[in-house]
Amino acid sequence: MYRSQKLAVRYFVAAVALFGVMIIAGLLSALYYLHPSLLFDVFNFNMAKIFHIDTLVIWLLMGFMGAVYWFLPQELGREVEGIWLAEILFYVFCAAVAVVSVVFIFVQYGGSNEFSLWFINQGRKYVEAPRWAAVGIVVVVLTFVYNVVATCIKARRMTGILWVLVLDLIPLTLLYLDAFPALTNMSTDLYWWWWLVHMWVEGTWEVLIGCIMAWALMDVMGTSRRIVETWLYIEVMLVLGTGILGLGHHYFWIGTPQYWLSIGGFFSALEPLPLLGMVVHAIYDAGAHHMKTNNRPAFYWILAEAFGNFIGAGMFGFMMTLPQINLFSHGTQWTVSHGHFAFWGAYGCGVIAILYIAKQKISGVNFLDGRAWKWGFGLLNFGLIGMVGGLLIAGIAQAFYERAIGGSTLMAFMAGQENPWFVSGMYARMGFGLIFAAGYVVLVYDLLSAGKHAPKSAVKTQAP
Amino acid sequence: MTPYALIYTAVLLGLFVLAGGSYGGFYSVGKLWTNAAFIRTGIACYLVAILLALAICLFTPLAALWKIFIVLSCLIYAAIPPVTWRYLAKLHRTPEESK
Amino acid sequence: MDIQDPGFWRAGAISTTAVMLVVLAILTIDSLQDIRAGGSHVPKYDVINQQIGYQYDWTRRMDVPVIGGQQLLFGKLYTEAEAHALMRKGKLVIQSRACMDCHTFFGNGAYYAPDLTKAWLDPAWQQIWMPMTAAKTREDAMVMFLMHPDRYPTWGREMPNLHLDESEAQAVVAYLKWMSAVDTNGFPANFGQTQSQQ
Ligand code: HEC
Ligand code: HEM
Ligand code: HEM
Ligand SMILES: [Fe+2]
Repeated sequence: MYRSQKLAVRYFVAAVALFGVMIIAGLLSALYYLHPSLLFDVFNFNMAKIFHIDTLVIWLLMGFMGAVYWFLPQELGREVEGIWLAEILFYVFCAAVAVVSVVFIFVQYGGSNEFSLWFINQGRKYVEAPRWAAVGIVVVVLTFVYNVVATCIKARRMTGILWVLVLDLIPLTLLYLDAFPALTNMSTDLYWWWWLVHMWVEGTWEVLIGCIMAWALMDVMGTSRRIVETWLYIEVMLVLGTGILGLGHHYFWIGTPQYWLSIGGFFSALEPLPLLGMVVHAIYDAGAHHMKTNNRPAFYWILAEAFGNFIGAGMFGFMMTLPQINLFSHGTQWTVSHGHFAFWGAYGCGVIAILYIAKQKISGVNFLDGRAWKWGFGLLNFGLIGMVGGLLIAGIAQAFYERAIGGSTLMAFMAGQENPWFVSGMYARMGFGLIFAAGYVVLVYDLLSAGKHAPKSAVKTQAP
Repeated sequence: MTPYALIYTAVLLGLFVLAGGSYGGFYSVGKLWTNAAFIRTGIACYLVAILLALAICLFTPLAALWKIFIVLSCLIYAAIPPVTWRYLAKLHRTPEESK
Repeated sequence: MDIQDPGFWRAGAISTTAVMLVVLAILTIDSLQDIRAGGSHVPKYDVINQQIGYQYDWTRRMDVPVIGGQQLLFGKLYTEAEAHALMRKGKLVIQSRACMDCHTFFGNGAYYAPDLTKAWLDPAWQQIWMPMTAAKTREDAMVMFLMHPDRYPTWGREMPNLHLDESEAQAVVAYLKWMSAVDTNGFPANFGQTQSQQ
């Protein structure tokens, strides 16, 4: 194994650990909806939620970085340049996450001054971490970019996937600089903030996971490079072609001009189309290689990624992306339903697939299968689908009672939150969330043990 | 948009994409296993998508341009699975693949 | 044109992305013009000296803010510079206390607590909090609530005390008043009007 791959494993371990923290924080956040007096004035809902969504961003980012550190040396057949620096920065990264966590737990918030923003809490969704930590993340990501570029230069070789990756990492890093400003004007503030959030999840991350999945397909299914690269270009063309202006679906109501209603609605409504293409592609690939795979869990998680992306992002997004609907669904549990399904489908499943690919290589088995991973797969996906189903019902009830009938005031808000449909949705999220958490436990158990009992050398490839 | 229209419009839109997606899924699996039943199920899903597009046009308060958009995307849905499939097949058949 | 040639799609990806980015850049330049304080959609900060309403506009077919005559906030007439400083402070309070991880602003944030886009216009101030706090004006009731939300709860889900001092609470109130005057293309719809049919 390359040193870079050892580093990747460290990133994977950190990612899975933070995934666990995210689930605990998510369950806690969900509990406030059922017991509002929980930890009141000690650790309020907003802090639990900050933990939930910030660890989400960090674990996925760590998963992606791990995946690149994993595949890069394999791709170029050489050790990653400047790996020692990356190794140090991994610990810096973890230490920063730990320090921010301590501050979030014990200090929580500061006064209305720049000091708070630099050292305590920035109070901007997804990027609440104080600015010093955001600087740290920029440094880590820049080192990561340096590693990738320098290795390509040293190897005097560029593959198509690497070109896409390198060109994608530039905007990905630049967009993160959006984590810093604290503009007085809420409209301009949100205008730029959405570049970060939307252009990450529906642009640069989508391309990044495309590169990683291309490597995964070559690895797990033995698809040829020319095919995955051609497909990657098509995907980039369609995803960015619809996603860049799809940004407009966040510019309906923040004070921006009315033309965004048409532009945002139109381009984002096109976004499901490329995702459908990816579903067809996943099925084709599964078949073209006669479902022969030496890594069953990775194979199924890759398939889940294609379907989850289409349904979670495509279908759940499309339901509420036209302005006439979004006027009422905007900022309700309906959004949360889509957010969970899309993040899980597009990125959660993808990262887990990579974890299994690494797992196979580390344990040195030719054929990875077993029983536990199926339970993990089943519980996680079942839990998630139940959760987003509950949230969808709650969200529709909220849009109906609070927004459409009630007129969005405090009274209307309460009426919506106390509506029986809404409340049942909240209980459903909690219940299915626990199932999801059980799935996580099985996943971790399986990752730590899978492969150990399998015959080390028997080359077995079988159709399911 | 009345409160009730909000719900059924959103549900119709969601089902529309789901039907389009199921068509793609069944069609591809049918192609893969050369199983006519699956392909027929896929086409049935597509017919449902057409019906849903019609329902959206007839019963929802969406603006006319959005309705035209739904009809057009319904047509595009028809094309995506077979075109993608044929293209992928072609891509795999080229000589490099057999090396 | 050989659609099996990766180069064809590479060119397609680059050109599509480039075109979209150029369009986005143009739209952004235009939008930033409209959403600066004093642009066509967003009022100047000293709008807090005026009365603000929210009414259905039949030509635009959506609810729009209506800026009326003078209506002082805290009995004071703010100059533009003073108003700007106040807004700056209000925004810092909002960020430093992470209000956005419970509430939404223009519908963005968290969904545990009500949307604050039109909080200034919420009938609850007159109906619930002015009697409860014995305050004479809406803005005084808001300040008292924001300083001690735990003393004036209206239902089971309470807002915690985030230790705002009086000047911080006032800055937030001013911020909310300004925000309610932003033209949000009709969001939220029918604010403050319960509707049963249409
Ligand atoms: C822990 C979650 C939480 C945080 C953080 C929070 N709030 Fe609240 N807020 C609530 C809840 C819950 C209510 C409803 C309280 C009630 O009705 O008794 C509320 C009510 C309000 C209201 C009245 C809304 C209306 O429409 O009438 C305003 C204004 C408000 N909050 C402003 C703020 C500001 C400003 C901040 C940041 C300094 C903030 N809140 C932080 C939970 C929170
Ligand atoms: C990988 C893909 C995607 C991910 C991870 C994702 C995730 C999210 C998240 C987390 C939010 C909530 C943002 C917030 O307010 O904090 C959101 C909002 C939204 N998404 Fe997506 N999304 C994806 C794709 C799509 C697609 C393809 C569509 C449209 C078809 C879409 C439509 C929307 C809309 C309209 C909103 C705004 C909801 C509101 O008004 O509150 N998304 N998305
Ligand atoms: C045990 C499982 C989980 C529970 C109980 C849970 C619960 C929650 C809760 C309560 C919120 C706050 C919503 C609000 O503001 O009202 C939230 C937000 C969010 N969670 Fe989860 N979550 C879980 C798992 C996940 C997973 C697996 C993902 C992604 C892969 C995820 C991604 C998100 C995102 C993106 C948001 C912000 C959504 C938005 O504001 O629209 N969560 N979650
Ligand atoms: Fe988006």
